[in-house]
Amino acid sequence: MPDTAPPPVSIRKLALAALASLVAAGLVFVGAVLPAEYGVDPLGTGEIFGLLALAQVVAVTSEEGEYRLDTVELPLAPGEWVEYTYRLEEGAAMLYTWQATGAVEYNLHSAPDGAPPGYAESFDSAASDAATGSYIAPFTGIHGWYWENPGTSEVMITMHTAGFYRDAHVVRARADGYRTLTDVRGNPVE
Amino acid sequence: MRRSWTGASRAAAAALLVAAALVLLPAGAAAHPMDTQNAAFVQGVDGPAPAPFMYLGAKHMVTGYDHLLFLVGVIFFLYRLRDVVLYVSLFTLGHSITLLFGVLGRLEVNAYIIDAIIGLSVCYKAFENMGGFERVLGFRPNTKMAVLIFGLFHGLGLATKLQEFTVTDNGLVANIFSFNAGVEIGQILALTAVLVGITAWRMRPSFVRHAFVTNAVLMGGGFVLTAQQLFGYVFYP
Repeated sequence: MPDTAPPPVSIRKLALAALASLVAAGLVFVGAVLPAEYGVDPLGTGEIFGLLALAQVVAVTSEEGEYRLDTVELPLAPGEWVEYTYRLEEGAAMLYTWQATGAVEYNLHSAPDGAPPGYAESFDSAASDAATGSYIAPFTGIHGWYWENPGTSEVMITMHTAGFYRDAHVVRARADGYRTLTDVRGNPVE
Repeated sequence: MRRSWTGASRAAAAALLVAAALVLLPAGAAAHPMDTQNAAFVQGVDGPAPAPFMYLGAKHMVTGYDHLLFLVGVIFFLYRLRDVVLYVSLFTLGHSITLLFGVLGRLEVNAYIIDAIIGLSVCYKAFENMGGFERVLGFRPNTKMAVLIFGLFHGLGLATKLQEFTVTDNGLVANIFSFNAGVEIGQILALTAVLVGITAWRMRPSFVRHAFVTNAVLMGGGFVLTAQQLFGYVFYP
């Protein structure tokens, strides 16, 4: 029991207060909550006060860049890696799908313009033989994939993209840890 | 009789104002804004992630005004710190039990219904503070039991919220406890603010004068929350 019991109240005052609170709640609900949360506007208050806009789902974003399509085939020898990146402005969208003929390790990463060398933000990193999705550039810079073939046979990666990128760029090299083989006397093996 | 009329009309005006503020303040957000960004992170989690889940729990509590309104009702007439601690502990016990077992047992309860009950818990507490039960029933139902039982429902609400994100079994228990710890931290933060405000107000004579109206407003807030959830339950299942 609380320290101070509420002062005694008449049943009339209680009923009136409860009714008033119910009516006020009803008005707020119909006048503000319904239009703002559910986009339902029976009193027209959502229209008048601009609350309806809160319930609108933004399904369309118009883009300023030029719409482009790109298809690329990238063969990967065992132990080899390749990077394939696009230049995207902040907020620009891209759809992508790629398949590999074998399991590869990959990540989808980006580097903002002006970032220190080697800096990248990784968004999707896994070992797989395919990935499909959409990408919206969080900042202006280069955005793309890194694939590495950890297997013992050549893998072919086929990728299709569509979006508002400017250009594509390929970087290719042996993966770290690839060493020149030597025979038992330490001489390089051809 | 005249006094009751002015009291009631003042209640209506204040209820309208505060309830409008309630709706407009977090405009665009549901009772529990869990940003899509946060949600994407939670869905990607595989394993224990104590700090992020603690943060989410605390954020949920501080921005979840249904829990806050209930706590305002609970501590409204609690003058001694001992009582505040006792009642808040009962609430915490209740919501911790159902949060833990709700998520672990993959309990599937409808979030709209639970949130509607949470809205009604605000109305119940406000009605109790208005002295309504003495007047209507002739006695006041056990206040400690009420807080504990509504705590159980609030915990179910927390559990459904955490389950909406496909949290993997890997590190689940650690993550529930982290989330719960965050909820308690957020609760302490919010309670401190509310307590400071109410204590300052209690020094003034206006507290006793407006206590009834304030609780009527609280009740209105509870009705709005309940209506919002019931509408969602019926039209957006």
